[in-house]
Amino acid sequence: MLLIALSIPQSAISAGHSLKVLGWGAKSGPLKSFGVNSEAALRSAVAEINAAGGVRMGDGSMVPMEVIGYEDSACKKDEAIAILRKTASTTDAIVGMGTTCSGVCQAMFGVLQKKRGDTSDSGVQMPILADTCIRPGLAKISDWSFRNVPNEITMYDELFKWIRTAYPNVKTFTGGSETDQGHSFITYTAIIVQMAVKHGFEWVGPQVPELGPKVKQGMKELQAAAKSQHWLMGDTNYTVQARKIKKQNADMVIVASHPFSACGFMKEMKRQRIKPKLMVGLTSSASQETLNGCMSAAEGIIIPTGFAPITSEAKKANSIVSKAGGFLDLHSAAAWENAYLVKHAVERTSIMGKPSTLQEDRRKFRNALASITSQNGLIGHLTRDGSTGEASKPYVYVQVVNGKWEVVHDPSS
Amino acid sequence: MDFYLNLINTIGIHTMLGLSAYLLLQTGQLSLAQAGFFAVGSYTAAILTVIFQWNIIPSVLAAMLVSGFLAFLVGFPALRVKGLMLVVATIAFSEFVRMFFYNLKWRVTRNGEEIGPDGTMGFAEIRYFSDNGWSNLEVTFFLWAFVILIMGFIWWSDQSRTGAVLRAVGEDELAASSVGINLTVVKVSAMTAGGFIAGLSGGLYAHQVTSLDHHSFTVLLGTFAIAYPILGGLSNVFGTLVAVIFIQGLLVEGLRFIGDWRMILFGILIVLAMNFKPLGLFDKQTMDIIKKAVRV
Amino acid sequence: MEDFLYEAVEIIQTIWDGILFGSTYALIGIGFTLIFGAMGKLNMAYAAAAIAGAYVGLAVSMFFDAPIIMVFAVSATFSTFMGYLVYQSCFRFIPTNNHLAALMASVGGLFLIDEIIVHTTLGSPMNFPALFEDAYFEIGPFGIRGDLLFVFFIGIVSTVLLLYVLYKTRLGMATRAVAQQDVAAQLCGINIHRTNSITFSIAGFLGGIAGAMTAAAVGILSPVMTVPLTIKGLIVTVIGGLGSIPGAIIAGLFVGAFENFFLYIRGIDERDMYVVGLLFIFLIFRPNGIFSKTINRD
Repeated sequence: MLLIALSIPQSAISAGHSLKVLGWGAKSGPLKSFGVNSEAALRSAVAEINAAGGVRMGDGSMVPMEVIGYEDSACKKDEAIAILRKTASTTDAIVGMGTTCSGVCQAMFGVLQKKRGDTSDSGVQMPILADTCIRPGLAKISDWSFRNVPNEITMYDELFKWIRTAYPNVKTFTGGSETDQGHSFITYTAIIVQMAVKHGFEWVGPQVPELGPKVKQGMKELQAAAKSQHWLMGDTNYTVQARKIKKQNADMVIVASHPFSACGFMKEMKRQRIKPKLMVGLTSSASQETLNGCMSAAEGIIIPTGFAPITSEAKKANSIVSKAGGFLDLHSAAAWENAYLVKHAVERTSIMGKPSTLQEDRRKFRNALASITSQNGLIGHLTRDGSTGEASKPYVYVQVVNGKWEVVHDPSS
Repeated sequence: MDFYLNLINTIGIHTMLGLSAYLLLQTGQLSLAQAGFFAVGSYTAAILTVIFQWNIIPSVLAAMLVSGFLAFLVGFPALRVKGLMLVVATIAFSEFVRMFFYNLKWRVTRNGEEIGPDGTMGFAEIRYFSDNGWSNLEVTFFLWAFVILIMGFIWWSDQSRTGAVLRAVGEDELAASSVGINLTVVKVSAMTAGGFIAGLSGGLYAHQVTSLDHHSFTVLLGTFAIAYPILGGLSNVFGTLVAVIFIQGLLVEGLRFIGDWRMILFGILIVLAMNFKPLGLFDKQTMDIIKKAVRV
Repeated sequence: MEDFLYEAVEIIQTIWDGILFGSTYALIGIGFTLIFGAMGKLNMAYAAAAIAGAYVGLAVSMFFDAPIIMVFAVSATFSTFMGYLVYQSCFRFIPTNNHLAALMASVGGLFLIDEIIVHTTLGSPMNFPALFEDAYFEIGPFGIRGDLLFVFFIGIVSTVLLLYVLYKTRLGMATRAVAQQDVAAQLCGINIHRTNSITFSIAGFLGGIAGAMTAAAVGILSPVMTVPLTIKGLIVTVIGGLGSIPGAIIAGLFVGAFENFFLYIRGIDERDMYVVGLLFIFLIFRPNGIFSKTINRD
């Protein structure tokens, strides 16, 4: 040992004893399951990485990855920003790993430096790797922000293309969405409806003059026309909306909503004996919460998701995380994958992991993360478009069959 | 350092929010409208700096004026409603404001990018401070200059005849009006002043969090606004400050590691505090003890 | 002509559904108004305690695989106890003239109950059973939800029970006496604290039923339901007239119909603004509510 130590050149700095990361998410409030699951996923993945040897630092040594904390941001903007600033200025963490809520990411990314190297911009310079935050338009807010998130445009595009062949007797469609949740509403009006139109499905909801196959086409008109078949995320009465949709007698009904109101609406559909040939849901509802809320009313709904235990890695991860007290779903599986993403990025560059090299390390890490265009995920490859910063990942389509989520189609196969 | 400065800023903003409820609470009126005025201030200041590219100082001052004016308009009908009905009326008003902003769309294209409030998606990239290279220390000094001003104003009010009039109205409206105090003028003024202060703090808040949406301005915020002065006591402006430091500094931030137990603890503490010190921590009793101790 | 008939049918259906749903608002409104009538105070934790009761009812029925009616019974029982607890912790020891402190304490109770629910359930929505869930009658062009009818029926039964207790029992007389003039009531030998705690318990009982009713009407329980139900309940109470039980009932049904109607004709974005607008109209033109009481408590 002494000989090795003596043989290292004087000028070299030896790497720190661990590669530190800090995570955060909602561990309180109605979205508590996000934080609990993501923390379990992150810590489990890190434990796996360490069991396999850890992470290679800039001087060639292998050190363990260390999750120095997983804080509660309660899906609140000010709390997430406080944690971000705490991580950036008082810890040695090389990256902040959080959160899941898209509105929070929007605020967090806003306090970061917008363009790296812009010395007139006094924003925070620390990379953030979010484990979901699905919402269009977040990638451009800052160079320091990264998300492990599926591309909803691709997912729904392929979904409706597949439905055309798998369900040939489905021709017409209508739908509703929660309007006070940004992600749900914009994905519904800008993406889901448009993609359905693109693949030849006929919109039989209220007349919309400009609805078309281009993303965001006719969005405003759709919002205005379909106003009385939308709801709010906390609503308790869906009778009006369901009746509207019943009258339209569509083959396919889109329910673009998070679990609580999606369940509320689907239960009302069941009561009013509305039985479309197919239901399609919002990505965020491909989770255990939907089953908890309305297992039987949700029967048959198909949703694209970024995670299902279909590969051996996915199955293994699933059982490890369950033992750790969490669920793996599209949100938390991203947290697992992020741990590996961090390892990959660190090993692409030379991180020393010492307090004196912290700012340098963060910059190198950011550059490395930005340069990764492909990475092994749990069910396939994660990719990132270098120019737009938009991430993409493999997805499958799951359906509620006999009260459980089953994979009905894997587009990559 | 950055983290502590951010915490100090949060404390500053919440102190101003609490003080915006302080004056009206002294007159015995329970108003949950502060969240609404705070929201109006936030969006106004943000629209001015982002869409109209104004400097931060006039933006924040304009936010103050707009909220104050709104409070003035709301004050007349609202304060004719008695007692606990005012609670409901102001809750409804705050919800109305929140719904207004959830519908507000004002998009402008600049440098090929769309900016501005976008309905339910919120208002992102309110980046005045970082775009203009303000250091965190500069932001803190700027923000706290306003906080100290407001605290000074409230301190002056407490020590002067204004404070006596407010407390008189709070104590017994009938007696107060029989000595010639115009109840409507007093209450509407208190509400207007509260609107000014809430608008100011909202404008500063918008630039601290860089992104606004209707989720930030719920009735919950309104309850926090009255919680600080009620818990801190309505005899002294420092009561509110101490309450804010305790809640935002110790409970929310310091105890972050206990996760959702924070809110559980908060609920228990409020119930206990109201039972043991129904007039707030710094009520007259405590103030007398402190004054005696200071003199000794 | 056909279009007009179609619209007329839709509007009638919408209003009918709204009225049935409004029975849940009416019960919550009765609870708020009972407490206001008795003590002149607002119990902000009321709706949260009601929902908490529904959770406990659900939990018990899940563990013991009990019939659905048990859910309602357990909800009501637990919320009765919660009502008593809220009185003791938030109202009993605070001086009667201090409205701020009592309100703040009950807000604390609201935070506490909300977060305990989240802590235990991780915030996940939970399926809630409904009696007659599959009953749906079609009479011509109209559809009638059997389970909502049942919920409405339970609402009526509870209200009748409440009115019986209030007007035909000594306990009820004591409650009304304290509400009218607490000093005189004390002089007659009525123990104010005991009476008030019983009032809170009765209100709690109603709340438990209302919580279970709302959960059954929607089919799901979630912590996100507490705050909107509180706000709706308060609006209904004020429109009905603070302290008036018939006012709360009529206002509850009316607000249910009103909001559903405006959802139908103006869409979701404006619906709640109309409800708030309705409240403001009442506050300006008829501030004491539908059934103004001559005793105007401040």
